[in-house]
Amino acid sequence: MAYKEKIAWLTLGSMLVAYGVYFSLLALYFDPAAPDGPRILRMLILFGSVTIVQAIFVAIVAAIIAIGARRAGEDRPDERDRAIARRGTNAAYFVLMTGMILVGVVMPFGDPRWKITNAALLALVIAEATRHTLIIASYRRGWHG
Amino acid sequence: MAKPPISNDIRTLRFLAAEMTQADLGARVGVTRQTIAAIEQGRYSPSLETAFRIARVFAKPLEEVFRWDGG
Repeated sequence: MAYKEKIAWLTLGSMLVAYGVYFSLLALYFDPAAPDGPRILRMLILFGSVTIVQAIFVAIVAAIIAIGARRAGEDRPDERDRAIARRGTNAAYFVLMTGMILVGVVMPFGDPRWKITNAALLALVIAEATRHTLIIASYRRGWHG
Repeated sequence: MAKPPISNDIRTLRFLAAEMTQADLGARVGVTRQTIAAIEQGRYSPSLETAFRIARVFAKPLEEVFRWDGG
């Protein structure tokens, strides 16, 4: 398996678990009737905790993968890695743009701030998931771009 | 994704070059072992530059390494 594919699996998996936990907890325990201050603070603490744990986990495992790849001389991206990365980024851009149009143009007309913030975060997560999924699919099934 | 109508003889040429490994070939043309494997299996079409580099390693003209199988 290519080094960049391993990193894509790692990032996608950890991101889906981390933000799956975040959005599940938010859906289960978030009280829309509570006052804005403490509610937003709890949300930020939860988001910060999940992000920090995910970042530390990814950094440690990615470092271990990088050591193995460096030993094999495969840690530097070549033209195929770059072509596949471009494909993922291009597709993710459109997903992110769609999400941002919804968040920035449509939602401010009727949704509360906490919902807009979380919708923006969800758009980022979906865009990143799209990027990594396309990267993995391109390595698995081939890409001739 | 649909496979492009391009085939290659890299596997055979490696065998004839004293069973050169994919890693050796990759190092000589500047790509990873996985990319050489993907090219051999038709899962990736290399850039023109890499195609020429591969042909050069085997001291063959490009058309003896890569072939267009389409109409």
